[in-house]
Amino acid sequence: MPRGVTAFSATLGAVVFGAALVGSAHAADPLKIGVPTDQSGTYATLGEEVMRAVRFATEEANAKGGVDGHLVDIKSYDTEAKPELARRQAEKLVSEGYPILTGLIASGEGLAIAPLMERWGSIYVSTINKADELTGANCVPGVFRVNTQSAMDAATVKPWLAQRKEKKWAVVAADIAWGRGSGKLFGEAVKAAGGTLVGEYYTPANINDFAPYIEQVKKSGAEGVWVVLAGRDAINFAQQSKQFGLTDAITVAGVSFTTDGTVKTLGDSAKGVYGIINYSSTLDTPENKAFVKAWVAKYKVPPTNFEGETYLGMQVIFQSVAAAKSVKPADVAKAMSGRTFDTIMGKLTIRKEDHQLLKPNYFGVVEAVDGQLRPVIKTTVSAQDVAPAVTCKMATN
Amino acid sequence: MLIQILNGIVYGGLLYLLAVGLVLIFGLREVVNFAHGALFMVGAYLGFSIAAMGYWWGGLLVSVVAMAIVGCLLDAMVFSTLRKQDHIVTVLVTFGILLILETVVTKVWGKAYLTYPVPPLLAGTINIGGSPFPVYRLFVIAVSVAVAVSLSVWLRYTRTGLYIRAASTDARVTSMQGINVDRLSLIVVGLGTALAGLSGVVAGPLLSLSPTMGNYILIDSFIVVVIGGLGSFAGAFVAALLIGQIHNFGAVYLPWAATVLPFMLMVGILIWRPTGFAGSRT
Repeated sequence: MPRGVTAFSATLGAVVFGAALVGSAHAADPLKIGVPTDQSGTYATLGEEVMRAVRFATEEANAKGGVDGHLVDIKSYDTEAKPELARRQAEKLVSEGYPILTGLIASGEGLAIAPLMERWGSIYVSTINKADELTGANCVPGVFRVNTQSAMDAATVKPWLAQRKEKKWAVVAADIAWGRGSGKLFGEAVKAAGGTLVGEYYTPANINDFAPYIEQVKKSGAEGVWVVLAGRDAINFAQQSKQFGLTDAITVAGVSFTTDGTVKTLGDSAKGVYGIINYSSTLDTPENKAFVKAWVAKYKVPPTNFEGETYLGMQVIFQSVAAAKSVKPADVAKAMSGRTFDTIMGKLTIRKEDHQLLKPNYFGVVEAVDGQLRPVIKTTVSAQDVAPAVTCKMATN
Repeated sequence: MLIQILNGIVYGGLLYLLAVGLVLIFGLREVVNFAHGALFMVGAYLGFSIAAMGYWWGGLLVSVVAMAIVGCLLDAMVFSTLRKQDHIVTVLVTFGILLILETVVTKVWGKAYLTYPVPPLLAGTINIGGSPFPVYRLFVIAVSVAVAVSLSVWLRYTRTGLYIRAASTDARVTSMQGINVDRLSLIVVGLGTALAGLSGVVAGPLLSLSPTMGNYILIDSFIVVVIGGLGSFAGAFVAALLIGQIHNFGAVYLPWAATVLPFMLMVGILIWRPTGFAGSRT
């Protein structure tokens, strides 16, 4: 064979082979999701719930051959619920090729990474952060929220407050962005219902003894207390206020306070406590029933509220990837904004204006069901009724 | 007001039980035991498992005895073996032990928070100045006062106590006088660790159990030890009560500064008297 022809066919072969490589690489481009979350801090149990839901969703998707052909790959680092560490761990995940982030617990963590999304070329989907600012004053094109924000929780508590006879309320809240925000909104809701806020107590992180705060609530003459604590704080506060007789003397209600996880730990100390419920495994939609059934088959117990919300976040990411036909953060973000998703809580839409998912919210009380204590839904407030006002002024997307 | 003071004593008492163990160990071995918080945590989990079977007081006893044995092993295998090395080696080893213990507890009991029950005998509240106060908290005060009193009597009026005080002042000179400091140290580290176990069980019904529970309280105990003076038993008692009160009144009157107050006091003491206000021995 003449040399020219050999060279030609070799080049052609290389081109064809190369094209095949590119083609297959494209089809197999994995969907890489970074999960910076709290594995050893105050909210470590919440971090565990996040990881369980992320793994469940990932295995479920990969068993079906991935999301639109993209196998899902996840990687996680510990943030200890500290904003500064969260920023570093998230940056590490992005630099290692995991540009779609989810799983941060404390609002301060989400707020710390939000302004960096554009520089990093990444996006963040909040499933737990409640501070309004994340999709309000501090909103950016690369941040989405599928969980309820504090304003939506406040809108849920208003109708309940209006029908309660307690008029004097106190607030005990974590001294972080979420606690401050939720405490303030609750104070406004109390005033709107004709009551007065007789005390506001913000507790520092990693505190052991809540006794000084419990004593102040008792002294304040409050007839009810609104508790904005989660994880270890929630359990310590509930246990200690039970011992001081506070739980039996006045009405106790809160947000993220009586979750499935804390109720299981607390047992009788949680009985009769009111609270916001963001997701419950008892929701009566066909999608939720299928999800709970698969979950129980795997873990033996029903999913908790945080597990449900995180799974919902994964559904949103997966459906956006499928719609975008791409795993590039910019394409996924474009598909996510303004889209309506088929979720375990029904058909829900992410607002274009601020990237908040509009979803229904619930209010309930801890009761025994079949001998098991759990938060039981008493009131449902529709997605339209809890939709917060748009305060975000986003650079158009 | 009275209730707030009592609350301060409860937290101070808990800190004292931990801090005095640190002081005992530091006195003889001149090392800061970073594993102390983890030993406190293991003590709490051991007690919890037995309390969950319905033997609350049995849990207390088993935890204290088991931790005393662990302490003796710790002294014989770590502190004694490494005594000729630079102290930083021992400190790093205790840090390693902390990580191992946390991992083992996570494997055995899991990461989820657990709640320790209050013994039926001490359940409920009593009225103090017209305000209900948990009986269990009075028990915590009683335990720490009992430990403080018996420890100071033991150290002051017994021969072993005399040797321990001597060895805490200068271990080398003491051993030159014919006193077996290694055996003394076995007793002291065993006792210090048993107190960590005791405080773990006593703190159980107040705090939720988690593998990292020791870290949250150990920092406060370190502050107590520094303020009281490393190696000072009475100093630890006074400093613990002081920090307990600062925690409470800080939370009531200066909530924005509540978390920094103990640190500010520590910095002040370190500038004023670098050995702590009662620390003349070291």
